[in-house]
Amino acid sequence: MELSWEIILMQVIMGLALGAIYVLLASGLSIIFGLLDVLNFAHGTFYMLGAYAMFTAISLCGNFWVGLVAAVVIVSLIGGLFEITLLKRLYGTDQIYPLLLCFGLGIFIPDIIKMAFGLIGKVVDYPAMLQGATFVGNLILPKYRIFLVVLMALVLLALYVFMKKTSIGMIIRAATRDRLMVNCLGINVSRVWTVGFMLGIGLAALAGAVAAPMVQTIPNMGDEMTVEAFVVVVIGGLGSLGGAALGGLILGQVVSFVSLLAPDWSNVSIFLTMALILVLRPRGLFGEEGRD
Amino acid sequence: MSAKQKTQETTSYKPYSWQAILEFRAMWVVLALGLVLPFVISKPLATEIMVYALFALAFNLLLGHTGIISFGHAGYLGAGAYAGAMVVYYGGVGVWVSLLAAMAGGTLVAVLIGLLAVKRKGAYFAMISLAIAQMLYFLALSPFKRWTDGEDSLKLPPLSVDFPFHIDLSDQLSLYYFVFVIVALAVLAQWRILSSPFGHALKGIRENEDRIRACGFDITRIKFLSIIYSGLFSGLAGGLLAIYLGAASITILFWMTSGIVVMQTVLGGTHTFMGPFIGTAVFLYLRNNISNYTDRWEMWVGAMFMALILLFPEGIWGTIVQKIGERRRPSAS
Amino acid sequence: MKRFLVLTLLAGLCALAFASTAPAAPPADVGWEFPLSGPYGAYAEEMKRGVEMAVDEWNAKGGVLGKPVKVLVRDSELKADVALRRMKEYVDSGINIIGGNLSGGISMVINQWANKNKVLYMSTCHNSLGQGKDWGYYGFTTGIKSYMTGAALADFAFEKLGKKWMVIAADYRWGHDQVAAFLYKSKQVGGEFLGAIYTPIGTRDFSAYVPQILAKKPDFLVLSVFGSDLVSAIKQFGELGLSQRVKLALPKTAMPIMKECGASYNENVYGAATWYWTLYKKYPNAKPFVDSYTKKFGRPPDADADSGYVGAYTLFMAMEKAGTRTDVAKIIPALEGLKWNLNHGPEEFRKCDHVRTQTVVILQGLGTKAKGWDQAKVIAEVPPSKTMLPCDVDRADTVYGPIRDHLPGK
Repeated sequence: MELSWEIILMQVIMGLALGAIYVLLASGLSIIFGLLDVLNFAHGTFYMLGAYAMFTAISLCGNFWVGLVAAVVIVSLIGGLFEITLLKRLYGTDQIYPLLLCFGLGIFIPDIIKMAFGLIGKVVDYPAMLQGATFVGNLILPKYRIFLVVLMALVLLALYVFMKKTSIGMIIRAATRDRLMVNCLGINVSRVWTVGFMLGIGLAALAGAVAAPMVQTIPNMGDEMTVEAFVVVVIGGLGSLGGAALGGLILGQVVSFVSLLAPDWSNVSIFLTMALILVLRPRGLFGEEGRD
Repeated sequence: MSAKQKTQETTSYKPYSWQAILEFRAMWVVLALGLVLPFVISKPLATEIMVYALFALAFNLLLGHTGIISFGHAGYLGAGAYAGAMVVYYGGVGVWVSLLAAMAGGTLVAVLIGLLAVKRKGAYFAMISLAIAQMLYFLALSPFKRWTDGEDSLKLPPLSVDFPFHIDLSDQLSLYYFVFVIVALAVLAQWRILSSPFGHALKGIRENEDRIRACGFDITRIKFLSIIYSGLFSGLAGGLLAIYLGAASITILFWMTSGIVVMQTVLGGTHTFMGPFIGTAVFLYLRNNISNYTDRWEMWVGAMFMALILLFPEGIWGTIVQKIGERRRPSAS
Repeated sequence: MKRFLVLTLLAGLCALAFASTAPAAPPADVGWEFPLSGPYGAYAEEMKRGVEMAVDEWNAKGGVLGKPVKVLVRDSELKADVALRRMKEYVDSGINIIGGNLSGGISMVINQWANKNKVLYMSTCHNSLGQGKDWGYYGFTTGIKSYMTGAALADFAFEKLGKKWMVIAADYRWGHDQVAAFLYKSKQVGGEFLGAIYTPIGTRDFSAYVPQILAKKPDFLVLSVFGSDLVSAIKQFGELGLSQRVKLALPKTAMPIMKECGASYNENVYGAATWYWTLYKKYPNAKPFVDSYTKKFGRPPDADADSGYVGAYTLFMAMEKAGTRTDVAKIIPALEGLKWNLNHGPEEFRKCDHVRTQTVVILQGLGTKAKGWDQAKVIAEVPPSKTMLPCDVDRADTVYGPIRDHLPGK
């Protein structure tokens, strides 16, 4: 096949959009892990919940943007509830128990959704203003994909400002480093954890909500996303937000180009990328000493 | 027995603690029960319990005995199943060679994961092992489809054993006892490994890695060995699974297999020897029965598992052992 | 130590006592299994409901041979090991007629096992049981041979949609079967083949292929993928404007697919199915089935429900005809000569390969005009005479086999 510059450019854009979903998903995972030391095995499930919350909100009010906000709010509230009532009991135990609790939740929730919404998936439509594509010569510029990239950039910017400039962001960063010290300073770390967990879940829900128009929205849609989010986080370095962002973007490009050149290997490629990076940089791209 | 215990107390470690004796007895009781299991529940379910119990025990070498959280065991099991099935399918070899190949397959994947991740701890190891195993799934599914038959499963001809005597493995009862004997031997082998000084070093790593390092042990080497043992036995379980199924199927490699073996192990109790065995039996039996009554059985499994984690994190057998330990404590001190 | 020995002995005795009281009569006449949990739950549920409808219908008129029929339905979880265990358990408990499954691959594993153990197996999905060395005397198909829907759609597409075509195919046996069918028909009618892309099962992003497809300007694009892959592909092609410019041909479509695609399933989407519920207008015998299904479950049945229904129904007919509920040696000849006229006109199991002679339906999407469960319209029916190859050809696999072994782009 000839690789004209148009095809290459389009592939880059598709890869960016694909990467945007990974970035949203993985940054949520990374925040939760960095702050709580909890490997959220239900991350893909919250991604799915995001899509379903989006569907519910849109069918109630009919507006994509309201749906988007509602999805994030509803799902992070569910996440907060889970954290406060169940997950919190397991802090301070062996790392495996919170992980397993999340795993159990990930098996539990899809069936609840099946009972509530039925087995046949739901449709979330593209918003009217983002439908279709702009054509520049032979170049297709799909509006929704471009929106995804912009959205990702905005979310990352907001996260950066939140973490660096607000006091709660500062506390989260401090608690990520040394929770005991933060606790000693008289700050209610427990509440910070809840906020951090909800933030991470909210990002997963956002990823699910914006992915919903492009993929099949069924109760099992999150099954494989958890694993892929792990891969992104491992590539980027555990607990590093910048790493998750870079990792997601890299994976987006890898999948996009491998799909084009060797479709057979498209699924394998992300894991191979991870293995390669682990060989070159065992801690991941932005991994820090001591956090392994 | 008590005399023996006394002499042991003077040495640096206690290979025959009360818990070890209890576990040793439990092992024989469970194996004895295994002799009659196919008359209590259906033969296929009994066979599956044996295979997955061996798998869970092998998995627990890492989680329970060394303290490594692995989510990549589907890779070991699947590599075992495919290696075992492929030598039969393409090489036309017998069942024993197939089982050897299965062990080699599991070991190979263990080496791969070990090389990439042995120095990583906790959740990091979990993620890397999970990702590598999932990579094997996708490899078998598409790029290597030519050899694995991908989604269609690699189907085997009817098998039988001719050495040391003839066993027709298409008969369900013979198949069960064939599997049972191998599993029993593997369980005994694992018991041997864990009661050796090496096994005690593993426990030491789980409890306090720095201290074991300070004692002069090569932590990385010991961990690597334990990963390899785990891969070896998981591969054997995979080989048995392929023989039992008469096929190597792609779903064995899917990451949910890793999740399920974690659930089985935790259900029985990770900090015990026989816990995973008991957990597997209970898990498979319950799952089999719940799904007869409702299509939404996963919800019940998920909910019960969460309750287990919150209320009885030591699992069924682990809680029993713990209770016995509490009863003993006043007299012991 | 003694205590443990005694305990063991007791447990053993209990077990033996339990074993000796095991019921002698089989717990049901037919044992079914479908992947009710997991990603294909929606389709599996349809099949299960179809089976239950047939059972209810027969029991309402007095059962088989004067006694009510009983079936069991279990979850096979879309896993070969679970599927096989369920079947073995059925046979263990005395049932020797089994049925179900939704994946061609698992179906083949079960079929092989059933033939080894002389158990009658009624497969409900699209499969290749009747082809090549996989054929066995004990296997029946109430679904369809995989290549038949592809062949039917190819017939239709080369006549109505154009001659220039491309294909995106799932990289496994079923996907390859469809490509082979299209290549074969293309050669016959002088179609122009522009290229094939093979994607692994579980591919979520198809946008990567849009530029090259647009560059090649085919008249139609064959989308030989299914499940979540298919839905993602259609949604993304709708988004990127591909399905407005190129017609999509789906060798297998289903109601959940149409529902999940929403407006992206537009007038340019042509799909093949074994049945569609609006056919009751043409085949009045289907009306009671559609009506009572709709009444019971709140929506009309899909083709999978028909597969389950006809599978169970014909088994009962054969039992009645053979005068036995359990003797497989008599029921199989009864099935072989069986003719029926249920949801889709007169049909039978072809004697030489035990495959149901299904007419394939070509459905066109309605896009934004779709209302409720009215998601597509029937625009053509392709009879089995045009799609089914003779048994000896199938057994030797001389038509599609060589093509499948040398697929372009593989």
